[in-house]
Amino acid sequence: MELTVLVFLPAFAGLLALLLPADRARYARWVALAGALAALGLSLALFFRFENGGGFQFADRASWIDAGAFEVQYFLAVDGLSLPLVVLTTFLTVAAVLVSFSIEHRQRAYFACLMVLSTSVLGVFTAMDFLLFFLFWELELFPMYLLISVWGSGRREYSAMKFVLYTVAGSAFMLVAILALALGAGTFDMAVLGQSGVESAVLPLRWVFLFLFIGFAVKLPIVPLHTWLPDAHGDAPTAVSVMLAGVLLKMGGYAIIRTCVTILPGEARDYGVWFAAIGAASVLYGAFVTFRQTDVKRLIAYSSVSHMGLVLLGIGALGTTAMVGAAYQMLAHGLITGLLFVVVGLMYERTHTREISRLGGLARQMPLLAAGLAFAGFASVGLPALAGFVAEVTIFLGAFQAYEWAVIMAIFGVVLSAGYILWTLQRVVFGPVRPEWAGAGDQRHWWEHASVAGLAALVILLGVYPDLIMDMLDPAIGAVSARVGS
Amino acid sequence: MAEHAWILAAVPAIAFLALAALGRRLPRQGDFLAVLAAASGFGLFFAVLASFLGRGEGAWPVLNAIEWTAIGDFRLNMGIAVDQITIVMLAVVTTVAFMVNVFSVGYMKGEPRYWWYFAVLQLFVASMLLLVLADNLLLLYVAWELVGLSSFLLIGHYWERRSAVEAAKKAFITTRVGDVGLLIGIILLWKATGTFNILDIIHAVEAGEVGGTGLFVSVMFIFLGAMGKSAQLPFHVWLPDAMEGPTPVSALIHAATMVVAGVYLVARLLPVFEAAGDALLVVTAVGLITALFSGVVAFAQTDIKKVLAYSTVSQLGFMFVALGAGVVSAGMFHLFTHAFFKALLFLGAGSVILGAHHRQEVGQLGGLWRRMPVTAAAFLVGSLALAGLFPLAGFWSKDEILHAVEGHRGALVFALISLASIMTAFYTTRLFILTFLGKPRDAEAGHARETGASMTGPLVFLAVLSVFAGFVVYGGVGEALGFPGGFGEFVYLHHPETFHIDWGLAGVSTALFVIGVFGAGWLYRGGRLDRAAALTAWQPKLYEMTRRKFYFDDLYQFLIDRVVLGFSYVVSWFDRFAVNDTGVDGSATLTGYAGFLLKHLQTGRVPNYALAIAAGVAALILVALAAGG
Repeated sequence: MELTVLVFLPAFAGLLALLLPADRARYARWVALAGALAALGLSLALFFRFENGGGFQFADRASWIDAGAFEVQYFLAVDGLSLPLVVLTTFLTVAAVLVSFSIEHRQRAYFACLMVLSTSVLGVFTAMDFLLFFLFWELELFPMYLLISVWGSGRREYSAMKFVLYTVAGSAFMLVAILALALGAGTFDMAVLGQSGVESAVLPLRWVFLFLFIGFAVKLPIVPLHTWLPDAHGDAPTAVSVMLAGVLLKMGGYAIIRTCVTILPGEARDYGVWFAAIGAASVLYGAFVTFRQTDVKRLIAYSSVSHMGLVLLGIGALGTTAMVGAAYQMLAHGLITGLLFVVVGLMYERTHTREISRLGGLARQMPLLAAGLAFAGFASVGLPALAGFVAEVTIFLGAFQAYEWAVIMAIFGVVLSAGYILWTLQRVVFGPVRPEWAGAGDQRHWWEHASVAGLAALVILLGVYPDLIMDMLDPAIGAVSARVGS
Repeated sequence: MAEHAWILAAVPAIAFLALAALGRRLPRQGDFLAVLAAASGFGLFFAVLASFLGRGEGAWPVLNAIEWTAIGDFRLNMGIAVDQITIVMLAVVTTVAFMVNVFSVGYMKGEPRYWWYFAVLQLFVASMLLLVLADNLLLLYVAWELVGLSSFLLIGHYWERRSAVEAAKKAFITTRVGDVGLLIGIILLWKATGTFNILDIIHAVEAGEVGGTGLFVSVMFIFLGAMGKSAQLPFHVWLPDAMEGPTPVSALIHAATMVVAGVYLVARLLPVFEAAGDALLVVTAVGLITALFSGVVAFAQTDIKKVLAYSTVSQLGFMFVALGAGVVSAGMFHLFTHAFFKALLFLGAGSVILGAHHRQEVGQLGGLWRRMPVTAAAFLVGSLALAGLFPLAGFWSKDEILHAVEGHRGALVFALISLASIMTAFYTTRLFILTFLGKPRDAEAGHARETGASMTGPLVFLAVLSVFAGFVVYGGVGEALGFPGGFGEFVYLHHPETFHIDWGLAGVSTALFVIGVFGAGWLYRGGRLDRAAALTAWQPKLYEMTRRKFYFDDLYQFLIDRVVLGFSYVVSWFDRFAVNDTGVDGSATLTGYAGFLLKHLQTGRVPNYALAIAAGVAALILVALAAGG
């Protein structure tokens, strides 16, 4: 019951916010915050009650469509891989609500969309029936489309449409693969599929694998399926960028581990080398493109392409250590990039520009935000004692055995990241002070302090105490890599 | 106490947190906290030392570790290891950090972000101590990056100045290129030995479990990290630019401690380097080339701090030459003495810069001897120690290096390192003469005033160390201080070496000193520049080349602008036009156009549809007939 409550709590809060009378619209943010905090509390309770190594827990299961030949269930459960991602989602939802406190336009609808988005992501991470999973996966499109096209900026309709079309195109492949798998195996139950494996399907298994991968790779994203990301990020409101970079991209990495690798381990063995190659290529490609970006948000978006390449590299190595590193990188990147977008968003609210060339010297006028950007930047570079470093090193160590060349390529991406981040810091927060931002003001509202400080604290916590998460990831991923046989 | 030496790093770490959180609101912006932390670090070092020595040689190294994380069957412990090399490093770091913190109180007075400066200084000290205490390479790497971060923040302290930010960025990225090598090297060693623990790696190598080309390659990667941090050719470019930071920072980080981290790393892993084929030959070669190269470049530098910076690069080269000869005591000994006299010279330069109202070009200085007597005397002591005057500290350590090279590397290397020694004496004398002798060449320098006690105090203290620190080479001195013997009997690789002075070598060393000093003395006699100007006029191209540092910086700038940024321009062009506009938007446009064309089929008129159906049926019949027949 807990998981069902957790998953639908945000959407319920969103519905309440939507139903507020028009003259009470300004309370929508409080309703959303209450819902987000309740979900966070509930997810933390599950986190601390979770038994490490105990497989899938807190299962909610009911028969939904019984068609004789196959049965679709309503089946939610979490294991050591999904639970940290669930907590990440609830945490970032709180942060996203907080940074949206200054939203003025159509508040009720805005918070309703944001909270439904949260529910759909939580659903993806907890659904253990493949069709239910797909349903949640698609559900996320509606709020995202509205959030970008209504509350976005710039070419927002174009970006929103591009995001939707990209995902739908990927989903088409995914749906074919899901149906092929389930009809072959006679069940949509992902736990069963993941345990027994699949011997045959309506389609050749490597097609199924490839189709699933295409669906997930769009979300991750990998080069060359990534160009929706900078547009979506560039034009989305801050909170949506936080959710997009923080958790939506992770749906791709999570799904690859949960389905491609777990259900089709044989194919994963065959194609692991491609994962590593595409991952390493994404790291370098993303880093080089990042250098030329002139818009801060697009710059962070491209750096995400680079950092998510590491996730694919870690998964491709298929060993426990490397895949734990990949999962850890998803969490670390979620927090760090979330923080980057929060800070950049707050800067944008004050300067109304994201053009790097128009910024500069902000360390004088906005010392707190500048410090936040520098902190998040260094975290993104992989500075030790912060979350990203633990993830990167774990991936490098784990993948080195299998793909020495890919790891060395990826490590060079680390130098490039130092280059583009420090260059950005130089142009945005350092350098001559610009008079036009004199009255712009610094981070000052409690909700701004809370979201920045909360994210930064977690980045440090995961950097110095990795066992908090590692102990949970390790048995879950260990079971996956045991299936692959490495 | 020695097993709790981590406290040494914890104290400045706490001071950092306190200053970062509260510094601005504390009285005096909390500078007393910084000095207090540094003083307690200095005091605690002696407690660690006493506890360490009290255990006796059999109980070394002192170890203390906890399990940090475990993933699968991969376990990672984090801990500290205190051995003789660590003790030397702790002595250097705590002493110089103490002096620099005291000096900064006077030097940084009234500067912007005073509290933040002290906060980051404490962060640096904590990270540096962690670096030398780490018992495994991964923790060392963590600290290695953290000192890089503190260095970045301190070089860029005056971030309103573009040059400062550029320098900070350059330092971080240049060393990071080396760090990538270090990380790859660490992973390779881990793959070969199954551990990050430094002692275990050394044992595995000594037991012959790893070796051959694989070991050589891993060691070379590790050495890349050492070269980056210790500014060896071709990574040296960041260090002179790092002089953009406040001068006390240059003394602490960019002379005495962080830049010797590479030397420390090689000394720490010397048994591994020894077992790795020709690795030590590479170390010698890199050190020698760097020592000579920066000795030459230092001639033509006109900024007092840049001369000292190139001097530091050169002296680090000396240390690598000694380590390359396989003599850890000589390398570590020079690291030890150099820390004191080079910190002294940098703080002296800071005193000059403050006293002479921010003039730091030697062309504008001169004649400060009378106006700043304490600074001048201290600077003289530091210069003579650096140049190698008997019996100051630098003499003994340089003597040890010459001895090591003579014994292990042969005549050619000996001749070249001697040449580098002459250069050292030469540029040091030049710097001293141009700064302190003759007449002031600038009105501000003419009004220079001696600096206050918080600055002259550390100068005097370090001057005393620069005179006497070298004597610990003698067994009797070491025993009197509680050590098992002289420096060579405390820090050694295979067996302790008792020091006996070799008068012949001492004579050579003194001759090198005399040549260098008199050469510069003749050229710049009485602080006059006419002979030097004549020399420049005689070979203008050579002078220009030296002044421009042999175009290394220009080459790198070209590589970054044209190659890295050029390549990223190509990639992002491809991303925009080929992937996005053609591939993605193109397919959307194509779909839209196809829809535009096909919509004409939907006319809505029944006869059209009927015709189409008839044509379809006819076609199907034809196909069926063709297939059947």
